Order: sequence, then structure tokens, then C-alpha cells
Amino acid sequence: MNLSESIRIALDSIRANLMRSVLTTLGIMIGITAVIAVVAVGQGGQQSILKEMEKFGSNLFQISVDWRRDELPTGNEFNMQDIEIIKANVPEVQYLLPGVSSYTQVKGGTKSKTAQVRGTEADYARLHPLEMAAGRFLTESDCQGRRKVAVVDEDLARELFPRDNAIGKRIVIDNQGLVICGLVKAESSLFGSGTKSVYIPTRVWLDIYPEDNISYLEGGGRTPGEVKTAMESSIKILEKRHRSEDLYEGYTMEQEMAAVNQVTGVMTLVIGIIAGLSLLVGGIGVMNIMLVSVTERTREIGLRMALGARRRNILTQFLIEAVVLCLLGGIIGMALGIGGAFLISALAKWPPLISWTTVLLAFTFSAAIGIIFGILPANKAANLDPIDALRRD
Amino acid sequence: MIKMEQINKIYRPQSNPVHALQDINLHIAAGDFAAIMGPSGSGKSTLMNILGCLDTPSSGQYWLGGVQISSMNSDDLAVIRNKKIGFVFQNFNLLPRMTALHNVELPMLYAGIDKEERNRRALDCISRVGMLERMHHRPSELSGGQCQRIAIARALVNTPDIILADEPTGNLDTATSLEIMNIFQSLHREGRTIVLVTHEPDIAAYARRVLHFRDGRLVDEVINPHPAGISDPVEGGETE
Ligand SMILES: Nc1ncnc2c1ncn2[C@@H]1O[C@H](COP(=O)(O)OP(=O)(O)O)[C@@H](O)[C@H]1O
Ligand SMILES: [Mg+2]
Repeated sequence: MNLSESIRIALDSIRANLMRSVLTTLGIMIGITAVIAVVAVGQGGQQSILKEMEKFGSNLFQISVDWRRDELPTGNEFNMQDIEIIKANVPEVQYLLPGVSSYTQVKGGTKSKTAQVRGTEADYARLHPLEMAAGRFLTESDCQGRRKVAVVDEDLARELFPRDNAIGKRIVIDNQGLVICGLVKAESSLFGSGTKSVYIPTRVWLDIYPEDNISYLEGGGRTPGEVKTAMESSIKILEKRHRSEDLYEGYTMEQEMAAVNQVTGVMTLVIGIIAGLSLLVGGIGVMNIMLVSVTERTREIGLRMALGARRRNILTQFLIEAVVLCLLGGIIGMALGIGGAFLISALAKWPPLISWTTVLLAFTFSAAIGIIFGILPANKAANLDPIDALRRD
Repeated sequence: MIKMEQINKIYRPQSNPVHALQDINLHIAAGDFAAIMGPSGSGKSTLMNILGCLDTPSSGQYWLGGVQISSMNSDDLAVIRNKKIGFVFQNFNLLPRMTALHNVELPMLYAGIDKEERNRRALDCISRVGMLERMHHRPSELSGGQCQRIAIARALVNTPDIILADEPTGNLDTATSLEIMNIFQSLHREGRTIVLVTHEPDIAAYARRVLHFRDGRLVDEVINPHPAGISDPVEGGETE
């Protein structure tokens, strides 16, 4: 009695009770579908977030005042001098940008739109993946010389100046007139789409909003390995200059990524437990129907024993049947899960990630359920007394 | 071939015991054809079960082909049933979802015989019972007589030492019964050992020996000088 024979017999008896078999494996099917779909969508999402973060550069770090200390900002925010000094004294820092922005009305031509106006430096374009659509980004001399120029994103430019080329046009931000010198392609990011942006020199921004301070610093390390040193040395200088301790907190993109991984890891675990429970219920369903099947086929078992089947032949026959049943459910579940993952991802706008490990795991898991929950019925079948079994009808 | 000494079988020895067989001493030689007769409940099936190694006696010794059976475990018994015994049942006991051919191949599956050899032997035995034309049919598409022919073919495939048939014609009409008995008769002429249970004297008439049972005891034995059969009756078995 070899394996292929046993599988043939198993498929035969599954086919004989097709409706019942399908209903039996429904639990397994749903469980596996859920696991595959959720894991694929979850991993796809995680991957997208991480990619997005990498796009910003994994050399990135940020320093801000620790608001959790529950103190109102007391002039301990940053100024342009801080930036100059850090850049001059910390070799590990390649870029350091002030973070200032306001959400305000931008007037242009006859129209007026709300946009995020960001004060920044020429290095911004090197730290962030900006793509120019036309013109140029802010230059060193723009920034040093407080030139009243602005870089606007395409979408905003089109809305303000639907007919004309926006470059060279005048816009007004809080009573300050500026000339558009460049257009950037609209950012299509996972999170921020639809936000319109305007970039102007930091010093111009500070002239428009003299009450405001720089609330955070954004920097780039020279190499990924130097990011931490760059950040920590910068914080030390800041603390010395502002005569304060533990006021600033910094974090790197790497830490952010680790946090994302941790969150998705916990999510995966929770989902795994839920899926495990549904598979457990499915397994009990399989056990139940296998017990019914053994009772129904008592006579067949008796006959097989009379013809020379040993107990272990009967045991493996029913075990294989349970495994085949679960695997069928598992395979259908896998197909449904992969389909579902693509569907959800299409709606969520990120690609699903179906890894071989997940598929393999689902496969092994359904087989394992078959074995675990098939043992009891198979054992019951194998321990039948041949004469009793033959006499039963 | 078969030797039984002081065989007893007691069902439910604790509560309400039934003494189904009492002190049975029996000897059946190789190539013999024995019929077992007796009223219902006289222990015929119990005897057949023990002969067929489906059941073990409560006491006594049983040798099959020189091998002591009484003390074997269930796996050993399964091997004996597979290789040395061919069963023919009153209700045929064919598996309904399999074709006749696959039913015939079944005992060989458990003997671990490879596919080609299985097919060759199955065809051989099916042709022996005249069922080649219908071997791809399922039991539900066959008549009772045809089912029993297939069951006989199945009993033959592992060339057993002994064929045990418990009322093989019990579910068949007279004409079909005689056809089936002719098959048994020709098997006997080829030298097969056959033990057959029946109620009907017409059927028992095919055997060389007729053993009468009553209340679990072997009470009488009659030798048929001229067993019924296909052609003119010849001398019965070769040995006692
Ligand atoms: N499994 C069993 N448990 C208890 N009693 C049984 C069992 N099988 C048979 N018997 C009893 O043993 C006696 C012999 O039965 P059986 O061998 O089937 O007789 P036969 O085949 O001659 O009709 C009967 O009284 C029957 O009721
Ligand atoms: Mg009986």
C-alpha cells in the first residue's frame, strides 16, 4: 500500500461526499484565506512604509525640543547660528536644515489657495527626493541673499495660473511678494498626497514671521554609520549653546523604521493568533466529519482488514484522508487569500507581498491540522475489530 | 492444511456467556472441499471467523498450513489473512465506489505487489470467473451472481492456501447459485482447499465432506461419494 494509492483512495472518498467535504474544509479555507490575505496586505503595507522612509533617506535624523517636558517654548528653539556652528564643528553632519513651516494662504494672479509654506535651504533638494518639473530649486545665494523667490509644486502652480507658465509669476504670502523660480513635481507619497507645498528661503520666512522660531532641525549624516554620532554631537552643541540639559530629543530614520517593524510585528502576531483560533475550529470540524466517516465506513474498514490490511494501513489511510482534506481547504484558501490580498491592496493602493514563507507555512499548517485532528478518527478506525466491523451495516 | 484441537469460543465470558463453539476437533487436508451445515446459531460463522483468522479461539489450538495461529498478534493475523486466506461472503462485500477490477486488486495492495503484477494477476483471476467483459463496471452495475464471481476472483488473487465461503449463495437464486458452485467445484478440481457454509443440501452436495454443527458442536460428518459438479462426478479429494 503506497502513498499514491492512499492519496487516490482519499480523493475518491472525498469526491464521493463532495458537498460534505467542501463544507468540512470551510473552516480551514477561511482560516488560511485570512492568514494569507492579512499577512500579504500587512507585509505589503510595511514594505511600502519602509520604502517610503528609505526614499527620504536612511541617513536622516531630526532634533526637536522635547515637548513632553511640559514646558512652553522659552526661546530655546533653534536659530540660524546654531546651524552654522554645528555644521562647522561636527564633521559627521553633511546637511542640516531648519524646520519651519506655516499653513497659510498663497495668492497668485486672481486666485488664492491654502498651502504649506516651508522655509528651507538649498540642501533640501539633496536631502529629499524632489523632482523639478521646471526652473530650479532654491540656491545658496537665494538663501544667503534673502531673495524673494519661491519654489512651488506643480499642482498649486496649475491652480493659481491655469493658463500661463507660472515661472516668473508673482505670488503673495502674508503680504510678502515673491517670484516663482521653479516648479517641483507633486509629491505622491503614501501619506501626504494632496498637500500643496511652497518652498522659500528660511531667512525670508523668518522675515515674514518674525515672532516664530525654528522648531526643529533636520539633518543628514555623511554615512549611515555616522548618523547617530552626527545627531548626538549636534545635540551636545545645542545644549551648550542654550545652557540646558535634556531639552532636546533626536531620532533617526533608522529608529523610525525599527518602530514600524515592531508595530507590524505585533499586528502580525495578533492576526496570527486569531487565524490560529479559526484554524483550530476548522480542525475540530475536520475531526468531527472524519469520525462520522469512520462510522459510515466501518464495514469497508472491516473488509479491508479481512483482506489483509494491517492496523497501520487503516491508520494511514484515514490520516492521509484528513490531511488531503485539510490541504484541499488550505490550497483553496491560499488561492482565495492571494486573490483577496490583491483586491484589498488595489483599494489600499499598495502592492501585496506574498512571500514563499507564508505560502509554505500555510501549506504545512493545514497538513499539520490534518494530522493532529485526523489522529483520533484514524485511530478509532484502526482499532476496530474486523468481525464487528464486517457485521455492521 | 487445517488442524483444530479442542477449540472453544465463548462470547462475553464475564456477563451472560455464550458458548458458541465447544471442543471442536477438525482436520481438513490440502485440496479438500468441505461443507459446513447446521441450523442458525449453531456456530458456523464463529468457526469460519476463527478459521479465517479474523477471530481467535477462547481456548484450543489451531494450525494453518503447519503454522500455529492461536497466539498471533493482530498484524501477524492480517498478513495470514492476506496471503493464506481467501474470503467469499454472503453479501459479496465489494467496495461500491471501485470498479470490479480495482476490487479484485485490493488484497494485492496490502501485499505490496507492484502495479503491473497486480493487473496481470487480477485479469487472470477475473477471466477465471468469466468476468473480463464487465471488469470496469462498479458493483452496482452488476448482478448478484456477477458480484459473487468478482468476489471469488478477489479471493483468488493472492493464491491463498484456503478459500473460506460463508453462505456464498445465500443471496442468489437457484440457477445462479449452481453457476457459482460450479466455479467452486472447478477450483476444487484444480486442487484448491475450500470450506463452505450453507443451509442448503443442494449446495452441500458439491462438497466432498459435509460437517454438521449443532449448538456449537461438530455432531456429524458425511462423505459425499459422488459430489455434484460441472461434468460427470469423479472421485473426490485425494487425501483424507
Ligand atoms: N459477537 C458476538 N457476541 C455475542 N454472541 C455472539 C457473537 N457472535 C455470535 N454470537 C452467538 O454465538 C452463537 C453462534 O453464532 P454464529 O456463529 O453466528 O452461528 P451461525 O453462523 O451458525 O448462525 C449464536 O448464539 C450467536 O448469538
Ligand atoms: Mg452465520
